[in-house]
Amino acid sequence: MSNSREKILAAVKANQPEELPLPDVPAFTGDGSLEKFTTILEGIGGKVVPIRGITHLDVVVQELFPTDERVASTLMASSVLVDAQTPIEVLAAVDIAVLQGEFGVAENGTIWLPEANMLNRALPMITQHLVLVLDHKQIVPTMHQAYAKLGSVGDYGIFLAGPSKTADIEQSLVIGAHGARSLTVLLV
Amino acid sequence: MSHSQRSDIFLLDAERTTWHDETLWFVRQKRDKAVYALPEFQDLRELASQIKNHTLSKLDHYLVQFEEAATRNGVQVHWAADAAEHNAIVLGLIRKHNATRVVKSKSMLTEECHLNPHLIKNGIEVIDTDLGERIIQMREEAPSHVVLPAIHLKKEDVGDTFHIHLGTTKGNNDPQQLTEAARQHLREKFLAGEVAISGVNFAIAETGSVVVCTNEGNADLGVNLAKVHIACMGMEKLIPRLSDLSVFTRVLTRSATGQPVTTYTSHFTKPAPGKEMHIVIVDNGRTKQLGRPDFRASLKCIRCGACMNTCPVYRRSGGHSYDFTIPGPIGAILSPNIDMRKHASLPFASTLCGSCTDVCPVKIDIHTQLYKWRQVLAAEGEIPASKKWSMRLLSSVLSRPGMYGLGGKMARQGLRFLPHGLTHAKGYNPWAIARELPEPPKQSFREWYEQQQKVK
Repeated sequence: MSNSREKILAAVKANQPEELPLPDVPAFTGDGSLEKFTTILEGIGGKVVPIRGITHLDVVVQELFPTDERVASTLMASSVLVDAQTPIEVLAAVDIAVLQGEFGVAENGTIWLPEANMLNRALPMITQHLVLVLDHKQIVPTMHQAYAKLGSVGDYGIFLAGPSKTADIEQSLVIGAHGARSLTVLLV
Repeated sequence: MSHSQRSDIFLLDAERTTWHDETLWFVRQKRDKAVYALPEFQDLRELASQIKNHTLSKLDHYLVQFEEAATRNGVQVHWAADAAEHNAIVLGLIRKHNATRVVKSKSMLTEECHLNPHLIKNGIEVIDTDLGERIIQMREEAPSHVVLPAIHLKKEDVGDTFHIHLGTTKGNNDPQQLTEAARQHLREKFLAGEVAISGVNFAIAETGSVVVCTNEGNADLGVNLAKVHIACMGMEKLIPRLSDLSVFTRVLTRSATGQPVTTYTSHFTKPAPGKEMHIVIVDNGRTKQLGRPDFRASLKCIRCGACMNTCPVYRRSGGHSYDFTIPGPIGAILSPNIDMRKHASLPFASTLCGSCTDVCPVKIDIHTQLYKWRQVLAAEGEIPASKKWSMRLLSSVLSRPGMYGLGGKMARQGLRFLPHGLTHAKGYNPWAIARELPEPPKQSFREWYEQQQKVK
């Protein structure tokens, strides 16, 4: 195996062209408004709901999902306790995950969700419905500001834009492929 | 069989061909809408192109930097010179964990290496979890597009397939209900998966992270539920800096489907505690392509599929007509590097209109390379005898003005007096299969010009 490593690296060295310059990437900016973020996110199947604060989050979630009971959250009382060690069967039964989103990107409606906010790496995908709480002031215009803001992506993190979806059957858009069937963003 | 012979099979169903053509053109139009909405799109293309050019020019440096960073992150890095070694590494890792159930998200590289048949032959259950890929896996077909693997199928085909494999009601062709049936079926597989294999969209040299882009969330679900994650990547997936992702995430999906971004853009840097993460870096002909100055730019490809959606030949011949893992214009410039004889007809599956080059988000000169491959293939004697001899004949006529004038006169007379059945015989005039030859002019331009000179 290490033999292949040396062989490949030697072949690359022999075959690559003369060094070409690495360009600086200008920080293209744009409309970083909450309106733009909301319009784009709703256009890709997300739901945006402004709320007063997170003190009555349980009431808001209850109103949004009246028939679902099993909630896992870092922000409100949970009916299912989830951590990194939670067995798969327990994770698979979660109806709603309510997590903190770090910031949104206006140009594409995506939200940064780092591992630290997930309870368990599989939770944002395995839950039937995902609710992200987002500070309305935490919106950046484009992906350039987004990666600049991040600095590090940590051990694992996702830019998440809307619910899981597919168009693999005759290009018909279907929401709810394998991950969360819905994404609701609660703006505080 | 050549590309045109396989296209004939696709073209037997005119209605389906029209649907395929129009559907992909619609995707191209969605791309245009997304691209035109971004004033800096052309700047981003140029930046993406330059970043990739730079990376390829220092690839040895970035491969080592990436390996060091990933190793520091607790990730195990493996190197595979070819498909066989890649498959052996992956099987070895699965065996080491005594696993038999594998879930796999989209990876054109594992398709290229024919990983699935290798694992299945060795008693491993491997389930493709992308919906389109699962559909074609059930049908034992190859993907016909890099982004839309089941674009050659109609919902009726999927309904039939799911009826057989998932027990859905016969005649239920509703995409919503079929997707739900697949969701339930694949949930079981996700929950049972012991090892998860994923592809890689971008590998960041400075952080050792791999980035995977999906709309379905299947990569994240598979990886985060399994004990072991194996990410398989071609060595050309590297980019130097985390900040370079801002350029590539902005151009990838806009070019592919017209979406502003994929639903999940996932950054895998370290394995979760108690779990393992492996990265397999694969050459399989890439260093050879790197050494071909005319063709190395094909390694800049980020697999968006825009060149397929826009190609008038791909849209009307289907992905399977290329008989190569990557179809369409980009596949036609990658494939001769792998097996020149087998894929000799692919660089000719183009009108050289240049639309592929115009939409490519990393500015690969695709149509120029198609043209250059034709020269290489002719020099290597890899073109059909009919093409070889007709080109020789044409070249000898075009290089002799007298012969050219005489030939033109004979053709104009011939077309006037010979029977239609002979001038349009399909056997030796394939141009006339679906077209009428134009009315022959009374005189050539040269004759007309000489006449005008005399009048003066």
